[in-house]
Amino acid sequence: MRWLLLRLGGAVFVLWAAATLTFFGLRLIPGDPAQAILGGPGSQASAEALAQVRAEYGLDQPLFTQYLTQLGRLVTGDLGTSYSLRTPVVEVIGSQIGGTLLLAALALIVAWAIALGLALWSTRGGRIAAGVGSALEIVAAAVPHFWLATVLVLVFSTTLRWFPAVSTAGPEGLVLPVLTLALPLAGFLGQVMRESVLDALDAPFTLSARARGEGEGGVRWRHVLRHGSLPGIALSGWAFGWLISGAVVVETIFARPGLGRTLLNAVQLRDVPLVVGMVLVVALGYVVMTVATDAATRVADPRMRAS
Amino acid sequence: MSRRTITLLAVAAASALLLAGCAPAAGPATSAPAAGGTLTYATGFGEPDCLDPHNGGNMPQALVGTNFLESLFSQDADGAIVPWLATAGTPSADGLTWDITLRDDVSFSDGTPFDAAAVKANIEQIQDPATASSTGILALGKVQSVEVVDPTTARFHLSEPDSALLESLAQTWLAMESPAGLARGLEANCEAPIGTGPFIVDSWTKQDSITLVRNENYNSAPAGAAHEGPAYLDTIVWRFIPDSATRFAALQSGQVDVIDEMQPDNVVAADSSDQFDVLTGALPGASIRLELNSGFAPFDDERVRKAFVHSADVNPGIQSLFFGTAERSYSVLSSSTPYGASFPDDFTIDTDLANQLLDEAGWTGRDSEGYRTKDGQRLVVDFPVSTNQSIPAEQSLFEQIQATTKEVGFDVELHPLDLSSWYSALGSWDFGVTSAIYTKNSPDVLRILYHSSNIVPAPSGYHANNAHVSIPELDSLLTEAGETTDDAQRASLYEQAQKILSDGAYVLPLYDHLQKIGYSTKVHGLSLLPTLQIPYFGDVWVQQ
Repeated sequence: MRWLLLRLGGAVFVLWAAATLTFFGLRLIPGDPAQAILGGPGSQASAEALAQVRAEYGLDQPLFTQYLTQLGRLVTGDLGTSYSLRTPVVEVIGSQIGGTLLLAALALIVAWAIALGLALWSTRGGRIAAGVGSALEIVAAAVPHFWLATVLVLVFSTTLRWFPAVSTAGPEGLVLPVLTLALPLAGFLGQVMRESVLDALDAPFTLSARARGEGEGGVRWRHVLRHGSLPGIALSGWAFGWLISGAVVVETIFARPGLGRTLLNAVQLRDVPLVVGMVLVVALGYVVMTVATDAATRVADPRMRAS
Repeated sequence: MSRRTITLLAVAAASALLLAGCAPAAGPATSAPAAGGTLTYATGFGEPDCLDPHNGGNMPQALVGTNFLESLFSQDADGAIVPWLATAGTPSADGLTWDITLRDDVSFSDGTPFDAAAVKANIEQIQDPATASSTGILALGKVQSVEVVDPTTARFHLSEPDSALLESLAQTWLAMESPAGLARGLEANCEAPIGTGPFIVDSWTKQDSITLVRNENYNSAPAGAAHEGPAYLDTIVWRFIPDSATRFAALQSGQVDVIDEMQPDNVVAADSSDQFDVLTGALPGASIRLELNSGFAPFDDERVRKAFVHSADVNPGIQSLFFGTAERSYSVLSSSTPYGASFPDDFTIDTDLANQLLDEAGWTGRDSEGYRTKDGQRLVVDFPVSTNQSIPAEQSLFEQIQATTKEVGFDVELHPLDLSSWYSALGSWDFGVTSAIYTKNSPDVLRILYHSSNIVPAPSGYHANNAHVSIPELDSLLTEAGETTDDAQRASLYEQAQKILSDGAYVLPLYDHLQKIGYSTKVHGLSLLPTLQIPYFGDVWVQQ
């Protein structure tokens, strides 16, 4: 119970901090939100139009007053209306979140599968396999999304023509974007998992399982894998946030509709309500994921339950 | 019928014949046009917030809008005005009223007839502050009201003579929309404007695509079109693909049929392939050029400006970075805009002269890094670069300018910025040199860019006169040129104005702003409408 209350308080703090930092960050860099409302930067809007818009959206108030007004609205669950799209922020996010969540979820699953497979194979296959596995992980983790995306498009779309370069209605359009997000993540996850698989193979509980006469498969599946996946589970909350930021690049390159691309446009236009709304939703997702991975760790790790 | 009208019609007829005689730009017509099919277009210009180009008024709106909206006038390849929905435009002797006569056989795609009342409704909608027009309202600055004389005659009442009126009316940002459509209100009109064009907006999936379907009753093809009547294509899918490498990959893999905003290396690759072709056209208005901020130090000193211009060696960079796809320009005006004047001798590379000029201007010291100094201050030139407007090759060119001007002691500091920050830097005059684009289908763009009144920022902080040029003689030349409709006089006035700009080293022209369209050779009949170099799909058909 105490655990839950602490978690809840932490979550509220994270959301407040995210909204506050985003609001001031966006308002303190150069650029005028009133122009987002009147057709984007460089608009030659008339004085009347600007005055009308500033009054209508409260942009003529002191910055701190605007902040309090917006915070007050957020507390009541009202995310406001996008300056540039002139639609409620909730609607914009609602129409874009599905694609991004699908992308992030698939990437997480694929990354987990690759990382686990690599960890189990490279810890079993001797020194060469260990070296190859570790090298692959380091390279994958170091590769930037935009570079990987370009290479994947060049190889699998332009040359081999196996997969489309831009998103399509069918599932084939998801392959390259998911791989772009999943491969570097698999590198990160693989590195920590292999370490802990190796630890587990040397651990007393593995020795005792072997002593009880369990086969190699059983040892790995029931004991080593469980131990090896713990840091991976703990990292999955962080991975979610990382995937969403990767989605900004991936959605832009593969021309997929989604939160990442909307966020990029909104920042460029200084569309404050839309940016704040999206950051809040992502922060909420991050909080939920962290709680979920905490819970998952409790299930996977018997020591946590005992305490 | 006045002489002016007759001349206009004669020019129109001649250009129509001339254009009709030209083969369409796309590959050889191997067979007769086949009706039907879907074409997918991928644009890198971005997604409009609103499909009604009266609202705001930018290139993404004009590009897609040209498929479903049409204008009163059009232009031929030389920039001369030709009729479209209007048949002629005649000014009064004092230039304060223009009678625009209209076609009587055109209807909007919702069945509403196109007439003088529709013209009046459109102009009033653009001038209504609630529409939040930016480009359109600026072009109509001298228009006070529109009077419906009879169904086929709209009379424009002006506050002062405007030789660019018909050119303004030719822009897609002032295209004609159904009054019944406008009456739905801005929000509904943003989703699907109703025009007279060869296609109709069917649906718009935000961040993904717009679907356009054929207008079966189309009968108002522009001058130079290869055929009259409805388009061949059933459907156009208009996709938004922001990344240029992905756009080209999508074209290569056959996912899309036509792309825009091609990078120079992709143009070369497409040109050398027999599966793809490239269509290029110079966007009208100003060339891509560096503007030297003459209002503030160090470029408030003409000698320092000249030293910069004579040391910024751009030709080798254009040759190596653009793979032969860009040609050096010495004119402030685009090659597709009438009355452009070139003064290559003012832009020779002469480091001795540059050094001498800087010595004379008092920048005689040198610091440890080799930059010139005066009273302990380094010769710094801040250069904000818009990463939205400058393609990677152009940003590399700016780095080469930085390197060559360093040889005579300039410290050019490049600041890559997003569009909002870039406009802010310009708005606060916080720069020494910058590159700005300005697309307008009229030499009157010179007045917008270099008349001293445009140093004063618009209420939004935007000012067009980035070079901070304030010369009374130039002002009166540009004002006079904007009022006279006499060809010879306009040519002489605009040449004098450009000579003043060149003599004072306010501007360093680089090259034309090129529209670069890549397409599969299965696509036939593609051409660019000269007014704004926008692709026209009314004649396009796809080989099955």
